[in-house]
Amino acid sequence: MHSTSGAKSAHDPALDDFRIDREPYYRSVGHEVALFQAAYGARMPVMLKGPTGCGKTRFVEHMAWRLKRPLVTVSCHEDMTASDLVGRYLLDADGTVWHDGPLTLAVRSGAICYLDEIVEARQDTTVVIHSLTDDRRILPLEKKNEVLKAHPDFQLVISYNPGYQSVLKDLKESTKQRFAAIAFTYPDAAIEAEIVASEAGVERPVAETLVRIAQRSRNLKGHGLEEGASTRMLINAGQLVAGGIALDQACEVALVLPITDDTDMRDALTAAIAACL
Amino acid sequence: MTAEHKTVRAMHPGETIRSAFPGDLYESWDDVCRRLAGAGYGNVVTDSYLRHSPELARLASPQAAIVLATIVSGLAIRAGRRAAAVAPVAAIVAAKRYNDAASLQEWLRLIEQVGDQAPESAGALLDQTASLTARLDVHALASWIRIGLRSNNGEPERRLRFFTLEDPNARRWLLRESGEVGFLDLEARLKPYLTALWGETPPMRETPANAPEQARRRPGFDGSVVRLPAAYPGFSGSDSEKLYRAAVAHIGAHLKFSHERFPVGGLKPAQIALVSLIEDARVEHLAMRELPGLARLFTPFHAAEPSGTATAPGLFARLARALADPGYDDPDPWVQKGRRAFFEAEADWASQQISRRIGDLLGNDLGQMRVQFDPKNYVVQPPYRDDNLGLWDFGDDDQQQSSEAEQVLSSARIREELDDSRPPDRTETEMGDAGGCVELIEQAQDGVLVARYPEYDYVAAREQPEWTSVKEYAPKAVASGPAARLVEEHADLVARVKALIRSARVSRAERLRRQPEGEFLDMDACIEAMVARRIGEAPDHRLHGRYERRSRDLSVLLLLDISQSTAEKVRGSTRTVLDVERQSAALLARAMAGLGDPFAIAAFCSDKRDDVRYVRIKDFNQTYDDLVDARLDGLESGLSTRIGAAMRHAGADLACERSYRRLLLVVTDGEPSDIDIEDRQYLVEDARKAVHHLNLFGIDTFCVGLDSNADSYLGRIFGQRNAITIAAVERLTDLLPKLYLTLSR
Repeated sequence: MHSTSGAKSAHDPALDDFRIDREPYYRSVGHEVALFQAAYGARMPVMLKGPTGCGKTRFVEHMAWRLKRPLVTVSCHEDMTASDLVGRYLLDADGTVWHDGPLTLAVRSGAICYLDEIVEARQDTTVVIHSLTDDRRILPLEKKNEVLKAHPDFQLVISYNPGYQSVLKDLKESTKQRFAAIAFTYPDAAIEAEIVASEAGVERPVAETLVRIAQRSRNLKGHGLEEGASTRMLINAGQLVAGGIALDQACEVALVLPITDDTDMRDALTAAIAACL
Repeated sequence: MTAEHKTVRAMHPGETIRSAFPGDLYESWDDVCRRLAGAGYGNVVTDSYLRHSPELARLASPQAAIVLATIVSGLAIRAGRRAAAVAPVAAIVAAKRYNDAASLQEWLRLIEQVGDQAPESAGALLDQTASLTARLDVHALASWIRIGLRSNNGEPERRLRFFTLEDPNARRWLLRESGEVGFLDLEARLKPYLTALWGETPPMRETPANAPEQARRRPGFDGSVVRLPAAYPGFSGSDSEKLYRAAVAHIGAHLKFSHERFPVGGLKPAQIALVSLIEDARVEHLAMRELPGLARLFTPFHAAEPSGTATAPGLFARLARALADPGYDDPDPWVQKGRRAFFEAEADWASQQISRRIGDLLGNDLGQMRVQFDPKNYVVQPPYRDDNLGLWDFGDDDQQQSSEAEQVLSSARIREELDDSRPPDRTETEMGDAGGCVELIEQAQDGVLVARYPEYDYVAAREQPEWTSVKEYAPKAVASGPAARLVEEHADLVARVKALIRSARVSRAERLRRQPEGEFLDMDACIEAMVARRIGEAPDHRLHGRYERRSRDLSVLLLLDISQSTAEKVRGSTRTVLDVERQSAALLARAMAGLGDPFAIAAFCSDKRDDVRYVRIKDFNQTYDDLVDARLDGLESGLSTRIGAAMRHAGADLACERSYRRLLLVVTDGEPSDIDIEDRQYLVEDARKAVHHLNLFGIDTFCVGLDSNADSYLGRIFGQRNAITIAAVERLTDLLPKLYLTLSR
């Protein structure tokens, strides 16, 4: 309502699809919920760091639900241009018509904008968020010759996996320093088992075995595997077990084959899994 | 001729030889002997043939003995006198092993073939006759030799490594040909298996062939390395694999749960063996709490059964089984007592002391039962268990123990390459052919003058033509040095670089916009064109976009400074600067080989202007393999840093490469200097001139300085943008590949 030209109501029907009605399951492992709430209170941009499949996206969904904000998610990729984020002129029968990009949509209407895997985007694309993430909180739409002031409810969240690609693809220092960061890792064994049991619908002992197996493959991180099995993979394996597949087979399908193409590594993993059963 | 003939006769009384060469064959033999003696191969060769050929004739056939003469002669000409002198001895060994005529004939043909095609390796091959013929039948030997001849790109040095079995590939092929499944086959799987089970673990090594018998039959460990037998003879392929897995899992359990070493103190050998046995069972049970599936792996190897006579090894094996296999019942009261004591202590399994206590107890009982224990011939059962040396603290002997262990573990010691092949009787110089290669090597040890380069005198502001002499020195190869250990010591770095390479490769496809043709419409260009049309301007017709792979076209020469200062220890570390250089170079080489960029590695140092030493470690057309690592490890620090001359020489090499970009990457640890130059400015200015000159020829230069004070002069030489200095030398390993990827983008 404080936004400039073309300000739309926060109950913009265009945003209905972005609202989260039911509580997404999220098992808090530390203070991250309180941290995020405080950051949102200050409308501080937040960066979620952590390996793939450890619950970053789920956490954002959960927080959006808790804060009752719509969530606009953008999966970044290396071909993404600034206009893919901000918007562009399109043509219709009468002439050109401006079309908001997802970021502009969120800025205008006060949603949480979640840029997933931001490092994948090119650096010249990521700089468009700079003016939104300092005290200006504006988004210049230069093609439209408009400066869009951010809706007071708007918040920017990015996720970022500080993995191996981070040398060639790293955030600019000037980008990084605008964010508060919450680090995610795989939860402790007991909590992770609880998550797996709940999400996959398997018995607790099965979930515990799956977590022990995951530990084996996480031991191999940096020794042939880029990442160990994530919580998400464990849930997949658990779901297969719940669907009547034998545990060893489920592990092979959900934990071993997806993670590596190297036959020796696969062999070692399968043997290590056999040792857990 | 007649004089020679007489010696022949004098040395071998006619009758014995006549019996070996019946009929006309004697004349033929006599004839070949005379030819050998007359050819001037030297007495060693002739004597050897004279002495051994009759025995070969008796063992195999006179014909074979006569054919051998031709082979000996061929070897003497091509492979040198030593190989020729060894051949008859080796032939007897082969004849004893291959007792049918066809096999021996084939063996002789193989030797002849190697003498022709790989003369430098013939001696090495003949030296190994006993072990090779024991493991391989003649067809398998033939195919192994064929692999050796074919797989080494016709490079003599590589072939020699193959036939001396220094090349792990040679050993791997040997295993394959012999049908055994050994450590080398499984290494790639066992390492991740151990890591997966237990997290960070020490590197694995094959127990070298020169280790004592007991050490070769069982695995072992100490804090720094896990040692596994080269093979478990007598086990089938799949059993071997299980056995190795069990061995690795068992050692992992020790590493995890055996925290301290037991002091040997005054314990008797039987007690040591028993404490070890209980400790084995203890760590296995603890491991199985976490990894219950290990039981399926371990239990099948416990095969001990109650037997009539109670011997110590038999009882020990039964006790081991009783502790591991819940389904096993043993009638022996001693075994039962051990089992009871062990499982009653279940609550205390976390403590290592229970092993000591129960072991002592059982040892005393054993003494009272008057069962003899023979430590010399005792081998731990079942075979997957380790020799338990790693569990014990031998007190004063520890130093010696560990140095012995070191000896055992550093497999394949440095062999002064080629030195062995030098014939002992070097005074006889009439042997042109065979002596040729030896002389060449000697020359290489002194350095071969390959080029002279000008040097720039900034005071006179002119170049002194032909002022420096660059001599190339042959690289030495040293096995299992820092470069070769790179993967073990820095597995994380290697993996990271691998990932970097992958992303550097895949992210090469670039999206080109505003193209006159292409596979998709460039949305922005389309809209602009439509807008332009509506306002009545002529629209831009470049509306398309396409993906294009940017091709890498880059050659790199990595030039390492190995002057005396690189022998210094890196601060806070036991490694020298050169060690860090070696590992960095090895890591970078992996990266470059992974990207498929042509690259070369060389090292330099200098001893005044007439001896700028240049060592080629890898040329552009060579493949990167462990020989390159071995050569990196063979580098030695020494002398000074006359960097300008070395760069000119490296640049001359690079200039022959036909790629779009050519990059000279220099790693140096100090200011250019040499003992014949006092003016510190002089060599800096010369190097600067050399860089300018290279740049003129389109060769880029970049320098990494390992000296925090190097900024000033490196900037002067290479330009501020083309030099960086790193204060923490250790970081070089990490930094070099990244730097390379950034430079090559």
